[in-house]
Amino acid sequence: MAARGHVQDPNDRRLRPIYDYLDNGNNKMAIQQADKLLKKHKDLHCAKVLKAIGLQRTGKQDEAYALAQEVAALEPTDDNSLQALTILYREMHRPELVTKLYEAAVKKVPNSEEYHSHLFMAYARVGEYKKMQQSISAQDENLSKTMFLPLAERMVEKMVKEDKIEAEAEVELYYMILERLEKYQEALDVVRGKLGEKLTSELQSRENKCMAMYKKLCRWPECNALSRRLLLKNSDDWQFYITYFDSVFQLIDESWTPPLEEEHSLEGEVHYSIEQAVKFIEERITEESKSTRPLRGPYLAKLELIRRLRCRGCNDEYKLGDPEELMFQYFKKFGDKPCCFTDLKVFVDLLPSSQYTKFISQLLEVIPLSSTTESEIALPADIKALQQHLCVVQLSRLLGIYHAMDKKQKLTVVRELMLRYHHGLEFGKTCLKTELQFSDYYCLLAVHLLLDLWLEEGEEMAVWQCLTLLEEGLSHSPSNAQFKLLLIRIYCRLGAFEPVAELYSSLDAKHIQHDTIGYLLTRYAESLGHYAAASQSCNFALRFFHSNQKDTSEYIIQAYKYGAFEKIPEFIAFRNRLNSSLHFAQVRTERMLLDLLLEANISSSLEESIKSMSLSPEEDDIPWKDLRDNRDLTVLFNWDPKDRDISEEHRKLSLEEETLWLRIRSLTLRLVSGLPTLSHSIQPKNSEKTAENGVSSKIDTIRSLLQQLEAAVDSGKKFLEQKIQYPVLGPPPTRMAGFFSNGSCQCQTSLFYLVSDIYELDTNGLEDSAEVQERIGNSFKSLIERLTDLFNKCKGDLIEVRDGTLKTQPNLLENLVFFVETISITQWVSSYCDGVLRPFKSNLQKKKKKKKETNVAMPPVFTHFLDYVTELQTLTSNVIDHIKGLEIILTALKLEELSLKDTLLLQEEKKFTKTVQGKVQSSYQHSVQEIGELLKKRLDTIKKLKI
Amino acid sequence: MTSLRAFTCDDLFRLGGAALDAVLLNCGPQYGIPFYLQYLAHWPEYFIVAEAPGGELMGYIMGKAEGSVAREEWHGHVTALSVAPEFRRLGLAAKLMELLEEISEKKGGFFVDLFVRVSNQVAVNMYKQLGYSVYRTVLEYYSASNGEPDEDAYDMRKALSRDTEKKSIIPLPHPVRPEDIE
Repeated sequence: MAARGHVQDPNDRRLRPIYDYLDNGNNKMAIQQADKLLKKHKDLHCAKVLKAIGLQRTGKQDEAYALAQEVAALEPTDDNSLQALTILYREMHRPELVTKLYEAAVKKVPNSEEYHSHLFMAYARVGEYKKMQQSISAQDENLSKTMFLPLAERMVEKMVKEDKIEAEAEVELYYMILERLEKYQEALDVVRGKLGEKLTSELQSRENKCMAMYKKLCRWPECNALSRRLLLKNSDDWQFYITYFDSVFQLIDESWTPPLEEEHSLEGEVHYSIEQAVKFIEERITEESKSTRPLRGPYLAKLELIRRLRCRGCNDEYKLGDPEELMFQYFKKFGDKPCCFTDLKVFVDLLPSSQYTKFISQLLEVIPLSSTTESEIALPADIKALQQHLCVVQLSRLLGIYHAMDKKQKLTVVRELMLRYHHGLEFGKTCLKTELQFSDYYCLLAVHLLLDLWLEEGEEMAVWQCLTLLEEGLSHSPSNAQFKLLLIRIYCRLGAFEPVAELYSSLDAKHIQHDTIGYLLTRYAESLGHYAAASQSCNFALRFFHSNQKDTSEYIIQAYKYGAFEKIPEFIAFRNRLNSSLHFAQVRTERMLLDLLLEANISSSLEESIKSMSLSPEEDDIPWKDLRDNRDLTVLFNWDPKDRDISEEHRKLSLEEETLWLRIRSLTLRLVSGLPTLSHSIQPKNSEKTAENGVSSKIDTIRSLLQQLEAAVDSGKKFLEQKIQYPVLGPPPTRMAGFFSNGSCQCQTSLFYLVSDIYELDTNGLEDSAEVQERIGNSFKSLIERLTDLFNKCKGDLIEVRDGTLKTQPNLLENLVFFVETISITQWVSSYCDGVLRPFKSNLQKKKKKKKETNVAMPPVFTHFLDYVTELQTLTSNVIDHIKGLEIILTALKLEELSLKDTLLLQEEKKFTKTVQGKVQSSYQHSVQEIGELLKKRLDTIKKLKI
Repeated sequence: MTSLRAFTCDDLFRLGGAALDAVLLNCGPQYGIPFYLQYLAHWPEYFIVAEAPGGELMGYIMGKAEGSVAREEWHGHVTALSVAPEFRRLGLAAKLMELLEEISEKKGGFFVDLFVRVSNQVAVNMYKQLGYSVYRTVLEYYSASNGEPDEDAYDMRKALSRDTEKKSIIPLPHPVRPEDIE
């Protein structure tokens, strides 16, 4: 290894001119100079590498590579060669070679921190996290615990003994190593000791680390004393109340008593009885009353303490007071803050349900509302009173008071809320466009009530009123994301995707939101026939996921460079979380299916399309076991009671449903991608090598995938038997139910069985094939029947006026989209069929000519196929005609002339109703157009099927 | 009532709810994941998140330390400060600013600074209340999404204890261009 430092290496001087030439882009001269130097100094490896760089840059990649490998084989350990090779490999886009290089260097010079560092970064670049984790985190538990971490520990220990630890980052690292080795006591000693003094830059870094170790070591006295101390400093920090309560009750359960002579604990005084805890909290409240700014912490802590005591079967033995009264007092103190509702929400379980109405009226009484001559209801005179009133309305919904009302009462509340909404707009006249209106929640709550009427009481009119009020709200508060999100959900439920794209883009969703809320778009765009928008929304998401993979690697390196070691495992976990995202797997799969749907056998052959996507039936790139559900299912606010709210169970079920559906989709994709591999254009027929060269194994793959598909379908059906209803604003159900009920599932699976039969005919030939031929013929027949059934499920009006209101049938759109997809798969399979039958026919015809016989019998399968193709054409044409009919009806529908019975909305609001109905109409037209156009293209490809 | 703690990558997944609505008090560029990761890698101590008892994300502050010590320009910088509408008017922004100042004190900074849209009176007033003053105007610091210059920024500063004479906050007489600021 070159001794670096004061004496300049003579080689550096010799190499200098070559570096200069390379820097100036004079590659030829660099090569010449290197050759010259190598004549004199054969062993100057670095010169060889520099020459290789010159060669690489002049387009002589092969020579460059050979030369580089010559040097690499020697496992160089001099800086110059290593650095030059690193540059070269990077330019060759072979970062994995850099890791090999430094692996060898580290082996030879194990003490070099620098080489370890280079190796680490090289690993990070190629994403060899497994190996990186061995040296940094503890992913590969065993190896790291038995080898790397103890080694690291010894190295750091040595540094500590030699008093060499200087930087805070080094202490952090030492702590991390010990923590990962589960040497919690040692870690605690480091943090509490002299080295711990260096931990200064992060806030309460030392305290936080001590606390973490106390928890790991179950040292409850210390947990308690430390959290108590921190609360004395800041009585508003919730996390320390939690630790304080946890530890008090732990100590009570252990019947802990303090030692007689010594201090209570390392961290000072310990509270170990309920009396002490009660006293401590009461003291915090007394202290709070002296503070300049009111603090919510102590009051909420009291409610939390009551909650915990109740859980332990205590009632009011400790005289903490009645929760109802405490919450009432809390409301009086903080009711004008927007967060009052979220704060109290945590504790409403403490109220007996018999007291709900009383509690709400009690709150209402203390709000300063004043009656005016213009309005029959008392209104708030300022923003504070409005905020208080809003809090009560939110609580009313949370306590189920609105849910218990009948239809008429609900409508009265809606009217009142809208009146309050309009009145409240006065307070926000000076609000900027980017700010929200103070009374927005009134509007949102009114919409929630109307949603209940629509979905629970079947009130068709209510959905139009929902959309009307939301569009109206949005016009006053154009950046209210909740309005937009709810509009998106409702439009999608109505089957109207067109307005959604614009709303979503105005949300200005960024980066990670493509993962967390992208499902709102991707669930509906394709299934409603907005194919172009569907492609686009998949692209947004995919672009994000792909750039993430690159970005994170760079920042792992940066974190290492800046000594933020704690962040390294965090970044790796982050990257993994995104890579194994459910949504990522879904958009990947759906995007490919969509591309095939739009292109395969239309603008390019199925085979080419599949090749360009590098799809292969054997390959499954979805991390089924590790799929992470990153969806934000609570992005839409709701104030529903707990029993109607989105629960953990719903999340679990929804993830299960999504995974089942994804499995079906991914298997379908893989089955389709297997079709071209069976075809003879790749393999010469009757080759003896058939078995070896893989066509037969291809059919095995397909048959096994088909079995898996059947199993997935079974699991899907079992899942749906549970008839799960997610909350209205919770996860949207998948397309699986429609897929089964409209018959597309049966059609698609039977198509893949047909493939298997045709393959059999293909390999065994026409002789003795009567049975197979008959099976194929029957399959054709039943397929046409099934497709006709599917078509029947598409019939009906998308939108119609009935009983003075507009009724929609969005499921017809979903069925049509399934029909088009199924027809596409039918066409791909039929075209495989065509490819198999065609050579049979031409052979027979040749024979016929040779023998000049007129009565060479044509096998029945030909007729079956021809009949089937004709029927397929007729059916498809019929569907196209049906779609044309839908278009005509939609265009003829003059919504603006309709006068719908609506007594709820104000005259000026009704113009929003016209707008939303127009949007839905136009969106349906758009869907029908796109679906129709695609189907026409499919019909053209079907027409080409004639053996 | 808040839990204050270091921001982690997992919090990025929860930004949706809050950030969709949150109006940044002082806007920087459009943030992408690399932007957040860069701050987490380089200045993790300057990235703090506040969480409500019900688990909701209330807001966050993101900043950095930069500048030359020799020229007495070493300082803390507020890159982003965001509080969800639900949790406004609780003094959370002030609390987060206080923390950032505390960290900057520990690092021996001379001052803390931030940029804010000239039109954002609410934010300008809030910062004034917290002891910040306008040090200079930066012309056309903000640009619209089409790349056109959009608005000027105030560069607001507050001196820390190391700057005993409060030299760092003496207002500049003339506005500057974005390319002139370091």
